[in-house]
Amino acid sequence: MNTSNSASTSAPRGSITSVGMGITLGSHLTPIARNYIETADVVFAALSDHVVELWLERLNPEIRSLQPYYKPGKSRMKTYREWVEVMMTEVRAGKRVCAVFYGHPGIFAWSPHKVIEVARAEGYEAYMEPGISAEDCLYADLGIDPARFGCQHLEASQLLFFERNLDTTGHVILWQLGVVGDRSLGRFRTPDAYRELLTERLCQDYPADHEVIVYRAPTLPIEGPHIQRVALRDFTSAEYTGHETLVIPPAQALKPNAVWRARLDELDAIHGSGIEPAVTA
Amino acid sequence: MRDTVELLEAIGRDATLRRASPEVLARALKATDASPGLLELVANGDGTALTNELGLVDRYVEHMSQTGAHEESLLN
Repeated sequence: MNTSNSASTSAPRGSITSVGMGITLGSHLTPIARNYIETADVVFAALSDHVVELWLERLNPEIRSLQPYYKPGKSRMKTYREWVEVMMTEVRAGKRVCAVFYGHPGIFAWSPHKVIEVARAEGYEAYMEPGISAEDCLYADLGIDPARFGCQHLEASQLLFFERNLDTTGHVILWQLGVVGDRSLGRFRTPDAYRELLTERLCQDYPADHEVIVYRAPTLPIEGPHIQRVALRDFTSAEYTGHETLVIPPAQALKPNAVWRARLDELDAIHGSGIEPAVTA
Repeated sequence: MRDTVELLEAIGRDATLRRASPEVLARALKATDASPGLLELVANGDGTALTNELGLVDRYVEHMSQTGAHEESLLN
């Protein structure tokens, strides 16, 4: 009985769940993410389309947009750390907090991971629920199955900051093109010259006339996906708003690996090849 | 006039409208008394009127810093 009294009089424990809104309004929000939003005491939102944010307000009026923390010239890392702090303030106050991010909350998003890490370290319940990401939309709209040739995803700036090896026998998909080459973290768009430099880097691995795809998933359901196929050399002159992703299809065929196939032959000789025996008449 | 935000969300979960042609979508929107801004966006791809109707502001979409940029040590 004393235990029960103790539980009923103690302050509610705060918690936080990072959920994904998906990309397209009305089409992608999962039932569990919707329920987290509807039942939260406080909802923080970092969405890619203002219309989606307006709809979220109808789902839970206790919404707090994270957009005002951005500021040109201010390091985005500072912004992201502020997001974590403002969310944790509510968790520590005993609130049931939901953090809503467009797409998947764990893909190309620093603060959803960080706030869960911080909350758990302080003893609070914290979870992440996946959402439909731009990557998921890309596979559906472009008819790409990442299992067929493989798929290498990179934040585009890494090709300019680091010595990265591209696998040209599979798809290469480059993200965050709008801020490619920005080392300040204070810009929301780098000039086209930075994307031209990226093109120059890509031409080290691909022919300049290799066809690439500039892709953008729709945020409103009355729109279709933006799919523009151009030669690599013309990538920077494609229609471009800063929200696009660059998809580079394979440039070379997969090359059979004779060494490891021979090792597989050895195993098959012991364990069987798995091929159905031929039926003899 | 139908609430634009609610209407857009409803279209997003309507299998008959989500992939409808602009012509079919325009007819359906007129039948539901959609706002002039929404009709203009569907008919001509011009979102100016809808932006004014709803007071829309562009959203920043970067939620991740570039690995290798300054403050990289703060990523972890």
